[in-house]
Amino acid sequence: MAMTSHLRTLKWSTWLGWQVESNWANPWLFTLYLVVKPVTGSLMLVCMFLAADMAADTAFGRGVPPEFLPYIYVSNACYALVGAVMFGMSSVVIADRESYRMLKYIFISPAEFQTYFLGRGFAKAMEGIGGAIITLLAGLALPGISKSLTFANIDAGWLLAYLVVGFVMLWAAGMVLASAMLNMSRSSMFLSEGIAGVIYFLSGVVFPLAILPSWLKPVSVCLPTTYWLEGMRRSILGPPPSDSPLGQSPIAGWSNFELLLAMIVSTLVLTTAAQFFYRWSVRKAWRNGKIEETSGM
Amino acid sequence: MPAALTLFFQAMFARSYARVIWMFRNRTWILQETLLPMLSVAAFAYAYRAMNAPDRFVGYVVLGAAMTAFWFNVLWSMGAHLYWERDSGNLELYIMSPAPMMAILAGMALGGMATTCTRAVAILVTGILVFDAPITFEHGGTALGVFGLTLVALYGLGMMFASLFLLWGREAWHIVNLLQEPVFLMTGMNFPVKIFLNLPLVIVGSALFIPLTAGMDAMRQLLFTGTGDRLMALEYEVAILAGLAVFFVVAARWLLTVLERKAKVDGKLGLRWQ
Repeated sequence: MAMTSHLRTLKWSTWLGWQVESNWANPWLFTLYLVVKPVTGSLMLVCMFLAADMAADTAFGRGVPPEFLPYIYVSNACYALVGAVMFGMSSVVIADRESYRMLKYIFISPAEFQTYFLGRGFAKAMEGIGGAIITLLAGLALPGISKSLTFANIDAGWLLAYLVVGFVMLWAAGMVLASAMLNMSRSSMFLSEGIAGVIYFLSGVVFPLAILPSWLKPVSVCLPTTYWLEGMRRSILGPPPSDSPLGQSPIAGWSNFELLLAMIVSTLVLTTAAQFFYRWSVRKAWRNGKIEETSGM
Repeated sequence: MPAALTLFFQAMFARSYARVIWMFRNRTWILQETLLPMLSVAAFAYAYRAMNAPDRFVGYVVLGAAMTAFWFNVLWSMGAHLYWERDSGNLELYIMSPAPMMAILAGMALGGMATTCTRAVAILVTGILVFDAPITFEHGGTALGVFGLTLVALYGLGMMFASLFLLWGREAWHIVNLLQEPVFLMTGMNFPVKIFLNLPLVIVGSALFIPLTAGMDAMRQLLFTGTGDRLMALEYEVAILAGLAVFFVVAARWLLTVLERKAKVDGKLGLRWQ
């Protein structure tokens, strides 16, 4: 009975999330929106690579190692999923409470509150996965990327494993953020953007971790997103060349199994913490009247 | 001073006051508006270092982060603002009041420029100190002039957006989102736009239609590199910015009249949550 209730909530909240995300425009405009945003974001990194390559060649007589381009491109495409799920789930609290003013009705309805967030996260994940796939496909048109982005390099088994564990990790991280948002008002977007920035920086999305200052490397290695991005890059591009600067990251020497194990352990810790934090946050928000509070932001 | 002019300036300063005073009442912005951009600056700076790019590229990233603050301000606090005012019920009051809407928009722009300048300076100083960006102030005065001209053109564009957003409902949020990454790409927010020179002229022309492109390229020439990475000569970029400034402010005035009328006819001035 309880399971049916969860599944029903999941189904309808996913549907609702998809409608909110997509029905503001006709399907063609929405598709354009899905394509343009992630592709241009990744093309900016391509332009940065090309500009650095030209300048380094002129200044020092040697360009940037070519494996950098697929590294940052694939990394950035995968990071889109982090943004979509984690920050999509947390922004639901703000949108439903402040903008649509529906959060209190969801709370008092028979719908399962936590499952509702999961459903909204699913809708965002569909958008994120769509964006990531489109970005990767667009990469096939770029010579520096298409050489590395081949079926021969893709390890489908590991890719599936990283995707499954990764989604649980992103859901748990999204729940932590959404729970925190329940008790915050004006500063809530700051928290969400701040975490996004920290993850983008410390997970080595656009640079190898070897270049980070030594005091920051342990922090970076504690983040499950670091393992996830490394795993995703490996399963899509294969390992970097042995003499490449990309192969000098602290976790570059780990096997896929070790990487997945680290990810599972850190995800379990994160999920447990997220559940405790969620229960505590909901109770606090309910007692302090935060579930219906609007701050006019 | 004629009464209409007095009313214009009173309304403009009253609207900008609300934006400026916010800085003193809610100090979380100091953390929010400097720390967050620094995280992306750090990521891109390390990316350039990992790629062995010359040090001036880190300077480009810092300058780009400072100018991003203005672009966000133009999008969220100018473009989308009338849409939000409509959602919160204030738009009807603006329209009903004797204050001209152009004065409200000018006040939003003035207040936005003042607050965002503070943030941009904080980002610039932090970025230069933390990442040791090789900035030179030999042509600081000229750079300041170019910066001022860029802001006039940019906020003129923002005023134009504000009128356009009167037509939109929920899509306003998505349009604002859509105007981020593509604009960062086209304006060369984190890289010299010189690399676009190999692309068709229509792409370079479209990029130059956004004031940030010419403005940042000109400021890079003056603050970092000289002519090494430039798209075109400084004089041409100044002329483009001056032309855009006049065009956007005139277009904003025209669009505001036309679209306010259209919004009234379509009954969209008070329509919420659509």
